[in-house]
Amino acid sequence: MKDLKYMIEFENLLQDADNDLVKQAQKDGQKAIGYTCYHMPEVLMNVDNCFSVRLRAPRSTSIDISTYYMSNYTCEFARSLLERGIEGGYQFLDGIAGVDACSAMNRCYEHMEVLKINDKENFFVTHCDIPYKIEDYTVEAMTTQMRLRLLDVLTEKYGADTSDESLLKAVEEHNKMCRVMTEIGNYRKEENPPITGYEYHLLCLVSYCCPTSLILPKLEETLEEIKNRKPDPKPWYRTRVVLAGSEVDDLDLTKLIEEAGAFVVADRYCYGSKPGREEIVIDKDKDILTQIVEHYMRTSECARYMSEEKITQRRETVDKLAKDYNADGIIYEQMKFCDFWAFERPLASHILQEEYDWPVLSIDRPYNVRSSGQLRTRFQAFVEALEIKRIRSGKGGNA
Amino acid sequence: MSGYPDSKFFRMKDHMNFKLQAENIKEVSGIIGDMVKEINWSDVANNIKSDFKATKKRLKKELNLAKKMNADDWKDFIINGEKQLGKLYQSGKMATVRREFRGVKDTAVDFYEWLRMWGMLLSTFSKDLVPSLNGALHYRWMISYFCCHSFMDKNTLGLRGKALKMHHELIFAIFRYVAENLVLLMKSDEKGGNSVDLSKKIVLLDEMTMAQIMAGFPDLVGIPYQLMPVFLLSEIDQLACMPYIDAVESYGLPSDTCPVPTSECGACVVDALPHMGSCFISSSMPCDGSVMASSYTSRRFKDLPTYHLTFPVRYEDESIMNAAVKDIKGCIKFIEEQTGEKWSWDAYFSAMKRFNKETQYELQKWEVNQTPYPQLIGPCYELFRKWNYEMDGGIDPRIVETFEKVDKLMMEAYENREEPWRGKMRHRAIVWSVPAHYYANFSNWLANCWGINVLVEMESLNYTKPLETEDKEEALKDMARLYERMVMRRHTNGGYDHVLTELWRQVEIWKPDIVIMYQHVSCKNMSTLNGLFEDQAREHGVRLIWIEHDLMDPRTVSRKDMRNKVNEYMRTVMREEPVDPSLVDFEDDASW
Repeated sequence: MKDLKYMIEFENLLQDADNDLVKQAQKDGQKAIGYTCYHMPEVLMNVDNCFSVRLRAPRSTSIDISTYYMSNYTCEFARSLLERGIEGGYQFLDGIAGVDACSAMNRCYEHMEVLKINDKENFFVTHCDIPYKIEDYTVEAMTTQMRLRLLDVLTEKYGADTSDESLLKAVEEHNKMCRVMTEIGNYRKEENPPITGYEYHLLCLVSYCCPTSLILPKLEETLEEIKNRKPDPKPWYRTRVVLAGSEVDDLDLTKLIEEAGAFVVADRYCYGSKPGREEIVIDKDKDILTQIVEHYMRTSECARYMSEEKITQRRETVDKLAKDYNADGIIYEQMKFCDFWAFERPLASHILQEEYDWPVLSIDRPYNVRSSGQLRTRFQAFVEALEIKRIRSGKGGNA
Repeated sequence: MSGYPDSKFFRMKDHMNFKLQAENIKEVSGIIGDMVKEINWSDVANNIKSDFKATKKRLKKELNLAKKMNADDWKDFIINGEKQLGKLYQSGKMATVRREFRGVKDTAVDFYEWLRMWGMLLSTFSKDLVPSLNGALHYRWMISYFCCHSFMDKNTLGLRGKALKMHHELIFAIFRYVAENLVLLMKSDEKGGNSVDLSKKIVLLDEMTMAQIMAGFPDLVGIPYQLMPVFLLSEIDQLACMPYIDAVESYGLPSDTCPVPTSECGACVVDALPHMGSCFISSSMPCDGSVMASSYTSRRFKDLPTYHLTFPVRYEDESIMNAAVKDIKGCIKFIEEQTGEKWSWDAYFSAMKRFNKETQYELQKWEVNQTPYPQLIGPCYELFRKWNYEMDGGIDPRIVETFEKVDKLMMEAYENREEPWRGKMRHRAIVWSVPAHYYANFSNWLANCWGINVLVEMESLNYTKPLETEDKEEALKDMARLYERMVMRRHTNGGYDHVLTELWRQVEIWKPDIVIMYQHVSCKNMSTLNGLFEDQAREHGVRLIWIEHDLMDPRTVSRKDMRNKVNEYMRTVMREEPVDPSLVDFEDDASW
């Protein structure tokens, strides 16, 4: 297939947290609000003169200083972000919208405050309380948190307009982005798709890490390009997999899987498109903020939600994605030292295999896989196992 | 209700499945038979021979020591007992080689308490003995409770005078609760007594979820589900949870998770939890691992209706109080629906009045311990504090009497300026982070070996505001505030201020010269602050002794390694010699 026009530019945008588009938006007077978790509604940070930047620590190597502060058996993602913060990599931010969802990420934000990683006058770190289940009163509590701990802070610090009209405008732009990403993503359902999993991962990440207003035109153009893109005569992959689990902002992971011959057809992980790129349906007669909050709560696939219906939802979602995207198997991954996914992964992998009848590869992984030989071998073995299964079932192989 | 716990619970009819018991006895007999077959009898003979030699050597050593004693030494020995406690340990042994001689008077007290404990255990188990005996054949964790006397001895090691009496009072109350709950567990368990009527009366509480909510249901019993098969078990016998950990790690769980929820999940995998109860109150507390463990329990017991009690993490934020109160209301409604019982405000308020009174007694202990003459310190007190705060919660009326007795003894001891570890008190210390008092017998060892007296620990310093006992809405808010500040949550959740800055506040109050800084290797809430503790300790001029440990898996960090950390610090940094050199280096890897 011919390379996409913006591929190199998009890859470059992901080399640093304060990429060119972020700089451009700030130059235009907009305020950059950093965040990590899906629990923090992205759309709420894109109101008026503010824009969201989903934090990553690309090209991380040594995380010695953050390991001194947070010990060596805590989430590498949180430690990498802290290391980058200590290095001065988040000096550009105007605020961090944090959630007290997991201890590692909460402590990461707290260290950023205590160690004063940003010396801008109005810089803030806010901590929101996040529920463990969905009930009327937990939706109400989270709505209150978002109003008090985020929107009011944006108004106080930067004079942001957080009225219903402003929220609606942010939702409209967000939905436009979601429609583009969904349309592109749907091409992965095709037998011989005009896009790879790696390319989609790249598009998805830039959509989180750049100001929506600046990245959206480029994504729309990319969509048009994909519509007319001519795939190779024969599918390039040997098998199709859903990648599910904890946070993945490492393009190398998708690359490693695809190099082993498995096409990542669906991205059910944090920083992926499921959840994250679903349109927010708003009824203008009801409270706008509550509806936004409820959308994020209902679509969240975070293992922190402990109620039975959410546990079932997580399994059903992976099963449905695998069916909708014609997957042959599932790769269930977990960031090393993440408590929530450490417990979720073995049980979910077991159940998806035993009760939903999916071949599952269950792995834990570092924040940056780079060119891990161990993981490469496991992916290759899984691809072969899926191929053998396919051949035995009489469906043949792609190789 | 007649007495506490209601005697009718023990009288409820059993429906034991005798066929199942016969099959189990056959299986257990087979296992024992296989074990006997695999015994290498020459090894056994060699072990007996080496034991005999070791005993002979020890007796000779003790005789030599006795020969060297002059009249004053003998007088001191008769009054204060022996001073070299290291000789009670023998490498490879599960128990100490003999009981400690504490002086004539205190040994008599100790022996009386030993008998009293046996009497209580026998009378409690005799209320329904057969299901408990069956339980011992079904669950290997039940066997570990046979060593509860060893646990008592271990946790009172070196104590003399009124401190010994106080510790016995406290540990007696705990073991009475344990024995009663073990009988109820085995009686209602499907594999044991299978008492359906009793099972309907039992509400199972997740891990360390506080019991106060059950105070409003006086005709029900709330039992912390995993307390006996997992948590307390590990405190009594640290080796007992390793099979759980191995089982769930074989299942795919990474080895970096906290061993508490890990063991709970492992207990589900190896089927070590009794199958009983009307419903299960799962909880998001105290930490991330606990949140996730409930999915394993609900997977194992699909027929057990579950309510997820979840409280805000940022608990100082009163704007989310409404959600916490509604969650409690939802939980009460759930229990009512599952059991058919009605919530009683009168019963709740009555229990909370007791709890408030107990809290006042607790504050008095703190006040005494903050003086230069601390009295009630050590592991039994710490365990009692946590148990009373979490699992008793004012529900058992007998506990106020325990508080009264202990308070009287404490004030007398304070008036006399007594020392709990007579002649051994050199340093004042407080314990921070996940403590290792019990399984490692650590605070006792600190006192006996180095004269480091642990005045208080982080997990004791919880909510002390009197709970509302008249206004119903305010009472629910207070219950939420209490639950949000449960053991292992009060400090580790809701922001670093609760644990990091709080330490420096407590140092101001208790004036310790040492902080025992435990580092439970898988506790991520605490380990994520390691560097800031180090930085700020230097700023505050506080001495931290870092001690890595693993609550339920001594293969990660052995008890000897833990002790060596202190030995090194005391010798190299403090330039001190031990109070009891016999305790500096000894083997207890295989002991309870």
